[in-house]
Amino acid sequence: MWKILSRRALSLLFVLFSVTFLTFFVSYLAPGDPILNMMGGRQDPVRYAFLRHLYGLDQPWLFQYGSYLNNLLHGNLGYSFKYPERPVWALISNGVPVSLQLGLLALVFSLGIGVLAGVLAALWQNTWRDTGIMAVMLALYSVPSFVIIPLAWAIDLALYKAGLPSLPVAGWGKPEQVILPVLVLAAANVGFIARLMRNSMLQVMREDFIRTARAKGLPWRVVIRKHVLSNALLPLLTVLGPATAFLVTGAFVVENLFAIPGIGYLAVQSIGQRDYPVIQATTLLLALAVVVMNLLTDIAYTIADPRVRVE
Amino acid sequence: MSLNAADLPTGQTHVQNNWWRRLFHNRAASISGIFVLAAILLALAGPALYQNTLPSDQSRTRDGVYQDYNAINAGPSAQHWLGADYLGRDMLTRLFVAVGVSLLVAFVVEFLNIFLGGLLGLLAGYFGGWIDMLISRAADMLFAFPGLLLAILVSAVFGTAAREAYGGMGRLILVAGALSLVSWPLMARLVRSETLSVKSRDFVMASRGLGASDFQIIAAHLLPNVAWLIAVAATLDVASVIVNEATLSLLGLGIEEPGASLGLMIFRAAGKLERFPLQVFIPAAAITLLVLAFSFLGDGLRDAFDPHSS
Repeated sequence: MWKILSRRALSLLFVLFSVTFLTFFVSYLAPGDPILNMMGGRQDPVRYAFLRHLYGLDQPWLFQYGSYLNNLLHGNLGYSFKYPERPVWALISNGVPVSLQLGLLALVFSLGIGVLAGVLAALWQNTWRDTGIMAVMLALYSVPSFVIIPLAWAIDLALYKAGLPSLPVAGWGKPEQVILPVLVLAAANVGFIARLMRNSMLQVMREDFIRTARAKGLPWRVVIRKHVLSNALLPLLTVLGPATAFLVTGAFVVENLFAIPGIGYLAVQSIGQRDYPVIQATTLLLALAVVVMNLLTDIAYTIADPRVRVE
Repeated sequence: MSLNAADLPTGQTHVQNNWWRRLFHNRAASISGIFVLAAILLALAGPALYQNTLPSDQSRTRDGVYQDYNAINAGPSAQHWLGADYLGRDMLTRLFVAVGVSLLVAFVVEFLNIFLGGLLGLLAGYFGGWIDMLISRAADMLFAFPGLLLAILVSAVFGTAAREAYGGMGRLILVAGALSLVSWPLMARLVRSETLSVKSRDFVMASRGLGASDFQIIAAHLLPNVAWLIAVAATLDVASVIVNEATLSLLGLGIEEPGASLGLMIFRAAGKLERFPLQVFIPAAAITLLVLAFSFLGDGLRDAFDPHSS
């Protein structure tokens, strides 16, 4: 087990190196002189030199990358170009809990609904109910979020016009403002997880030990609950990584269309202001979220499934 | 006695010779194929055909850039078949142009994907060793970024410069380049593993035994046997490229005004959904249909080439 975990840790280091190196390098290659941009019309060579030194831009790139990494290890994400001398972290720290909340709620919701839909579809295999559920799941999986959002808004609007209870379509803070964005963000994952869960269920249901359990007279319901479900849920752990990746890209669209002040929203704001350090930091944080999720999944899987430890 | 071609032992070659027939019998895939062809034709010829149904002195009101102040946010009419947007620009022409942009970006990305991802995957799988090491680690580095993140970063950082240097086309090429950074590692990985399995087959061994060079083996044996995989993967990837391009444009990182993109059209009209729902739902329907069509076509191609897969 330790051998597997240490191998995972090694690949984790490689992933972290790749993410930091590429984010650094892309920003390093960014065209234009950020200091000149920042200073605007006031051409003061002393201040220019001061700022250039403050941002470390007078160093060779390898040194810049080194100090960038060093700063990262000390929890320093650098300084904003747009608001000189303000640390990036001060600009985005408010967005982190918002995005985290949104993402975790969406993940929990999509796991709940996705697993339920997948299990039901598998139990009803090859009936119209199975076909119906899987068609909806295929639609949720393949229709992009920016198409689902206006649809959800239109339904919400129709409810409002009919005098029925409806939800706010933008903003963040009140509990009712959370529901729509979480639903939309979860949509793609629900489809993805349901399809996986159905396959996993069907695969386990074909196993010999299920036939044995049936043959010794266990009621089907008990077999499903005790033998099929516990085995079919295991592979689901592996999708947490890809599911988080879905959420990260989805968060950009959802946060911007719903005007939610999370990481994705702040990133797009800073893009308009050419504030590269902020873009860099948000990219890094989001990539880290996925990396951490992947690592947690690996550890959980090694603990949950003894077969992995033997291989 | 004569030797009949049908009596010869058949294998992969036979399967691959009849792929178009199986594709044709797959209803979802053939309808999707026809839809894709129609979309390509409309994107190419649609604007001109549509403009020329008006007398030539009026046709520029439908050029998709002309702002018809009498038709701002107008619904469908004889003048503007799908209405006009918030600046009075013709929606149908902008839709044609936007679909064209989606397809053009997808075309450029898949071109890079096939030549970069396909070739690198082939080389990595065939030669192994340090070449494989180099290519696979490079792909892994790009894989470290979840989803669109790297494309977002790249188009955010270089977007302004691309516009200043090369205008709208510069942005388009940048978007395509950024998106292919996300696409090619997957292609390379798929082609690499298929190459590994083809390489160990007997006919490759026989060919090497007869003294064929690496280049001959790659060109005569490996390439024909991984080509179907490349075609299937590229077709399936088009669906995600179309969504990704729209996402970038929606976030203000891709195609900019006055250019047209499905994502941009949805974004511009989303705030006025209540009053002018058509302006949102027309591009939304277009992108959904395009994505579904390419997915079904890709699935159909895969089943046609590899009937055992489903």
